[in-house]
Amino acid sequence: MALEFKKVTAVVSEQMTVEDAEILLDWLIKHPRGRINLSACTHLHAANLQVLMAARPRISAWPRHAPLAAWIKAALTP
Amino acid sequence: MNPLLDQFITEGRDILQTIGERLLQLEDTPDDSALMGELFRLVHTLKGNSGLFDLPEMTRVLHAAEDLMDAVRDGRRPFDRPVADRLLEAMDFVLALIDEIGDSAEAAPPNTARHANDALELANALRGLLAAAQATTPTATETEPAATPAPSPAPAAMPLEALPSRIQQELTQRLEAGEPLCWLTYEPEEECFFKGEDPFHQILQLGEPCWRRVSSREDWPPLAELDAYRCILRFEAILNTPAEALHEHFRYIPEQVRIIPLQPPAPTSASSSEPPPDAETTWSFNVVLEAQREILGLTDNPPWLSGRLRAVATTLEAAFASIGQVVERDALEQALHSADASHSSQPLLNWLDEQQRRGDTQLPTAASPPGAPAEDIAPPPEAQEPQEPIKFGRRAEDRLAGHTLKVDQAKVDRLMNLIGEMVVTKNALPYLANRAEEVFGTRELAREIKAQYGIINRIAEEMQDAIMQIRMMPVSFVLQRFPRLVRDTARKLGKEVRLVMEGESTEADKNIIEALADPLVHIVRNSLDHGLESPAERSAAGKPTEGRLTISARQESDRVVIEISDDGRGIDPDRIRRKAYERGLIGEPELERLTDQEAINLVFAAGFSTAEQVSDLSGRGVGMDVVRNAIACVNGAVELHSQLGQGTRLRLSLPLSMAVTNVMIIESAGQRFGVPMDRVAETVRVARNDIRTIKRRLTTVLRGRLVPLVTLNDLLALTIEQVPNDDDEFAVLVVRIGADHLGIIVDDCRETVDIILKPLGGVLAGLGGYAGSALLGDGSVLLVLNPRELL
Amino acid sequence: MKRILVIDDAATVRLYHRSILEELGFEVTEAVNGLEALERVAEGDFDLYLVDINMPKLDGYGFLRELRGKDMPQAPAIMVSTEAGANDQKLAFLSGANLYIVKPVRPERLASHVLTLLGMTPNGRGAPS
Repeated sequence: MALEFKKVTAVVSEQMTVEDAEILLDWLIKHPRGRINLSACTHLHAANLQVLMAARPRISAWPRHAPLAAWIKAALTP
Repeated sequence: MNPLLDQFITEGRDILQTIGERLLQLEDTPDDSALMGELFRLVHTLKGNSGLFDLPEMTRVLHAAEDLMDAVRDGRRPFDRPVADRLLEAMDFVLALIDEIGDSAEAAPPNTARHANDALELANALRGLLAAAQATTPTATETEPAATPAPSPAPAAMPLEALPSRIQQELTQRLEAGEPLCWLTYEPEEECFFKGEDPFHQILQLGEPCWRRVSSREDWPPLAELDAYRCILRFEAILNTPAEALHEHFRYIPEQVRIIPLQPPAPTSASSSEPPPDAETTWSFNVVLEAQREILGLTDNPPWLSGRLRAVATTLEAAFASIGQVVERDALEQALHSADASHSSQPLLNWLDEQQRRGDTQLPTAASPPGAPAEDIAPPPEAQEPQEPIKFGRRAEDRLAGHTLKVDQAKVDRLMNLIGEMVVTKNALPYLANRAEEVFGTRELAREIKAQYGIINRIAEEMQDAIMQIRMMPVSFVLQRFPRLVRDTARKLGKEVRLVMEGESTEADKNIIEALADPLVHIVRNSLDHGLESPAERSAAGKPTEGRLTISARQESDRVVIEISDDGRGIDPDRIRRKAYERGLIGEPELERLTDQEAINLVFAAGFSTAEQVSDLSGRGVGMDVVRNAIACVNGAVELHSQLGQGTRLRLSLPLSMAVTNVMIIESAGQRFGVPMDRVAETVRVARNDIRTIKRRLTTVLRGRLVPLVTLNDLLALTIEQVPNDDDEFAVLVVRIGADHLGIIVDDCRETVDIILKPLGGVLAGLGGYAGSALLGDGSVLLVLNPRELL
Repeated sequence: MKRILVIDDAATVRLYHRSILEELGFEVTEAVNGLEALERVAEGDFDLYLVDINMPKLDGYGFLRELRGKDMPQAPAIMVSTEAGANDQKLAFLSGANLYIVKPVRPERLASHVLTLLGMTPNGRGAPS
């Protein structure tokens, strides 16, 4: 499990798998103002990227892993 | 049906037949490599054909079969019994699909998605045999080209102009510095997540791009409706990576990516009066140029190098011309000449570099997508799709299909069964009315029930009619195969035949139409084989050398009538008499007595075949009796007329629909039976005194005609006397058997009812004399007699 | 009129290509294998070849090698394959193909390449009636 939920923030650790997408989506539906902390994330499966793009949550921290951050930023801030 | 689909079906059937034959041969000679090669090629060809249509199930199975055959051909897997079995099984599946497509009579192939599971299982079984042989090949799902011709990513023009000018400048500089920049568009297929793919991972592996964009191919739905596992992402990037490397990276999913090498921008071409090339042209130009570069990059030196180089030169000249650039022929000729002389591509490569560097080229980077305004950052999807230069049948017809609803046959059948039960159930109401009156003495209620019954009856009949209409299909469905069949058969027999078909749009119930197919083929073959003469024989008889075969269909009241006539030699009644006598079908007295027409009708007798010699067409004496029985099965009748030397005419008359049967209920030996009304000519009462015995057979005279009589109890082998009424009159049911009438003495004739006739099943199925059974409104079961078989 | 030789053992594929090419106004000749294609080539020049790979008697590669070995005008050739492998493409190019495309080819895509290889300008490309 790469997701840890703290009140209004979901903290992502390391790798988000394809299964996590469903969990992330559920949580975002229940928490429309939820934030995502991606700082520890090293990779997320494309399904998660898709969920993030559809939900556009606030990102409280971008991944420290620069190439990943660049792509996610491009996807979420066109 | 569109001609391409038609061709596909015809060729498919041929190929499948050959595959079947070759597989069986290969079982005998498993080491025959030529046979093996042919088998592989056949499967391969069929797979290629299926790919032209949207038939993912068929393609999937054929693809697996092809892979297996490939392994067998290369000796990676022995050809053994399991391989043959699996392949035969797979080909049966494919044939069934082809038949289904052939049967659909639609312009576009029908959706075969419901066979998806079978296809998957078959493909897995085939690949299972493969996997046992070699564990190292990439898995099926990876290498399999998308079974559905996946919609290729739209070859949009690159809206580089739409990019921020800072990035444009940077790109220009890098291009001028010679960096191999490529524009990549990657649209992962929707189901890719289920195949274990992670497109984002693919993208991240490419390294840092100069520019990137991630977007969705559709608008995002509200979050609650989002399907997280249906991928609708689009990745775009401009990368400092050679096109070949990108192609290699995406080699398993080439149909999901578009890779366009960028070239440095140039001043707009002033020399050309041509309009700027459109997106598709530019794209094609780039692809062709890239290919020529790759060819020129080859370092081998084969004997055909000179020709290859000349072809490249021709191609380059054409490609530049296609975007409105006329190249200097002299320079190209010179480059070609020195390349040829030095056995090296380098001079041509130099020429190409020069040609591109000179910037004469109308550049892709300057091209706007057709019809899209330049400031349009993300062109709307329809603008991304290049204007289709040609319209192709399939798509256009798909759109036209909008007014027609395609319904699964099973659903219509269910409706049919339901209305059948409704008809039966409504028949309970008159019983109920009678009981109301007789048992409970409420005449008022009985009348009301009868009135309601009248209304329900009318609605039920209309519903039945409406459902029947759905099942109607044109006779052309079975006739369409005849032009080919007649042509091929006639050719085989060395005869000249013109086929004339009339009334192909006449409609009848699907079951009737289907029941017609085999008898018709047989009749037509008979006609070609025995009826029509050879050209020489015809001209000797003073006829045109080309024989004429006519198949006409029309509706006559509630029946559909099909006539097959030829202008051939006709049937010789004397020869029939002789043959029938020789075969013991008739005795000496009949030999004299039979009229010509009666003699001709003998061809319907079981075991009669007029063929002088067994021909490979009509086979061994499968005669007209088979035809007559097949037609009789759907309550049809056959009449044969023939004029010696003039020709033969067969007239098939069939009901328009066979779903509901009107039967008369009769009583005999204390039981009730049904007799189909279309067999009943009339019902009469015959006084005991009017029944005579002539030659030990019961007869009576009806309207001046002698009618033979039989008792039903005799026919049913019951040793019970028929019961007359109080006036000592017997109830007689006069039935038609062919052209004859026969009186069947029963105890009583009752009302007629509509029933849904169900064939007898189980142990009873073999019981002759019964057409089937039906459920009556009062819940009892009625056995329906088949007078023809009873006799 | 430009003449195109369509070489494929599958009648369905030939019909498919023919219908696209004829709609563009080209004259189409068919051959069912490489040997027959060489016979057609001996009878007259073509402006473009559409070549299948797998064929009986003489396959597409063999045909191209023979063709490119001839001392005659060398028209562009498109190799039409069912495989998307990089190896097949290389083999096609080595044998003398100028373009390698994978079946099933979308009509508009094929049209585009054919027009490019025949040097038809955008003006010449308009939508045929």
